[in-house]
Amino acid sequence: MARRFLTADDVRREHSGAIVVEEGTIVTPQALETARELGKVISTAKGPYVPPAPDRGPDAGAARRTLPNLPEPVDGDTQATTMIVTAVGKNRPGVLAELTSALAEFHASVHDISQRVIDGYFHLILVVETPQGMPFGILKEKLEALSRADDYAVRVMHERVFRFMHRV
Amino acid sequence: MSFTDQEILETVRMFELETLDIRTTTLGINLLDCADPDIESACEKVYAKIVHQARDLVRVGQSITADYGIPIVNKRIAVTPIALVAAACQADDLVPFARALDAAAKTVGVDFIGGFTAYVHKGYTHADRALLESIPRALAETDHVCSSISLASTRAGINMDAVAHFSRIVIATAGLTASRGGLGCAKLVCFCNTVEDNPFVAGAHIGIGEGETVLNVGVSGPGVVRSALARLGPEADLLAVAETVKRTSFKITRMGELVGREAARRLGTTFGIVDVSLAPTPAIGDSVSDILELIGAERTGAPGTTAALALLTDAVKKGGAMASSSVGGLSGAFIPVSEDSGMIAAVRDDALSLAKLEAMTAVCSVGLDMVAVPGDTPAATIAGIVADEMAIGMINNKTTAVRIIPVPGKGPGETVEWGGLLGTAIVQDPGKYSCERLYLRGGRIPAPLQGYKN
Repeated sequence: MARRFLTADDVRREHSGAIVVEEGTIVTPQALETARELGKVISTAKGPYVPPAPDRGPDAGAARRTLPNLPEPVDGDTQATTMIVTAVGKNRPGVLAELTSALAEFHASVHDISQRVIDGYFHLILVVETPQGMPFGILKEKLEALSRADDYAVRVMHERVFRFMHRV
Repeated sequence: MSFTDQEILETVRMFELETLDIRTTTLGINLLDCADPDIESACEKVYAKIVHQARDLVRVGQSITADYGIPIVNKRIAVTPIALVAAACQADDLVPFARALDAAAKTVGVDFIGGFTAYVHKGYTHADRALLESIPRALAETDHVCSSISLASTRAGINMDAVAHFSRIVIATAGLTASRGGLGCAKLVCFCNTVEDNPFVAGAHIGIGEGETVLNVGVSGPGVVRSALARLGPEADLLAVAETVKRTSFKITRMGELVGREAARRLGTTFGIVDVSLAPTPAIGDSVSDILELIGAERTGAPGTTAALALLTDAVKKGGAMASSSVGGLSGAFIPVSEDSGMIAAVRDDALSLAKLEAMTAVCSVGLDMVAVPGDTPAATIAGIVADEMAIGMINNKTTAVRIIPVPGKGPGETVEWGGLLGTAIVQDPGKYSCERLYLRGGRIPAPLQGYKN
């Protein structure tokens, strides 16, 4: 097994001015600092030292293979790229238009829609399919930005949340 | 659409109004390979390894919140018990390890880091003793480090020398953080039958059977259970109450399962466990006490409270077990007194005594948690409280814990404000009688018959 760490003490003990570490070695910040002070250069066989990608250990490979294949709760016709938008607030004309025009801007299509008005308050549910490659987070932020404290509140959630909660 | 309006609104309501959240995604990191005879080098390695493994933890948590709309309140790290990592140093002062943990926590931006820990349920190593002695300064000098000590187990019995030692450490920790109401003790807990994959602080650490890294999730939602029971109404019988709690717990746990799978996938590590624990916060409605009162105790602490809590803890576990194959940690109901506005109200109204609280810990999922006692409580009395709690865990094959805060300068009935998630406490009276003789005897309470299971 390669040496996993290079410490300041290791750097001080090293006689050579060029310290070559194995791939994956974690060089501590103090070691980098000491090397800089002593004018020593830390590198790997492939070039200058850069912090390695995290080594998650021997179990990680199996986890990476298994996790995507765990059975998921299933639901008839919802797609993995579906998001569910809910808006709740005081009813006034134009709410639906505001939401749907924001969606249209991102080429997201509304698959289903449901609205109820009770005592002057509405709740609106939109099932939206987002285009391939569209980052969910950006669209979510854009839609939730339409919320106003004295007007209505928008919440956007991934359909997987509902599938996990309500389906087995 | 294939989800009904009712299903969608139920989920949204849980997050919006009933304070459902993923309380924590906790990355467990094994530090055994950081051992070094030179303490400075060991601490360098500890810092570097934690930063190496956890540098993406906060970003991954935020990305899951952004992508799914599920709030993740805390990101935490749990590490190998530091007494094991530090053993090679043969140092008497292990505070540098705590500083290294704290610095790493700050660098990666997590809320807490747990694992300033020793297992002494049967005996001490030199490093275990050094770790205990270092706790008061470690907790006073750091912001994010949490410490836990294993004092007993069903298999080993209760190490009463360690119980006595722990009680003195609690008092010393309170003394060093006196200006903050003894707050250091909020980051210090002892266990019987400690849990090696617990994602919740202060007891978070990863045991020696765990792998290199593991992602554990703690999910909480007393507000959701409370609302479900409020909708069920006071006429429903207890079977209906249990069924409602179980179904609600199932739904809550599914969120933990989803986030756990996704966080582990994004970090490229193993998904360990979901800990489904009703963990109250001082927020109104986010209270386990409210649930007990909805089940039927007029005030928490009234006769019937323990039965209601037993029903609640069990139903939470059952719902969780159906929702995930990876339920672990402590899973059940927490009763941290200062963190639960309902429990504090019950203490204020003389409904909830320390004695009743102890009875409740026999059926809750952890133990005496966030209990304030007078600052001049003798070490023997604290040791007695701890020993009683350890005995409950030992005999009942369950995890029990004590997180007790002797508040400097305060007497019974006085209030102390810790703020944030730690809430407000009213100092409780441990009674005037002593257990000095038991304390001075020392030694070990041998393992009970329940431990001989081979």
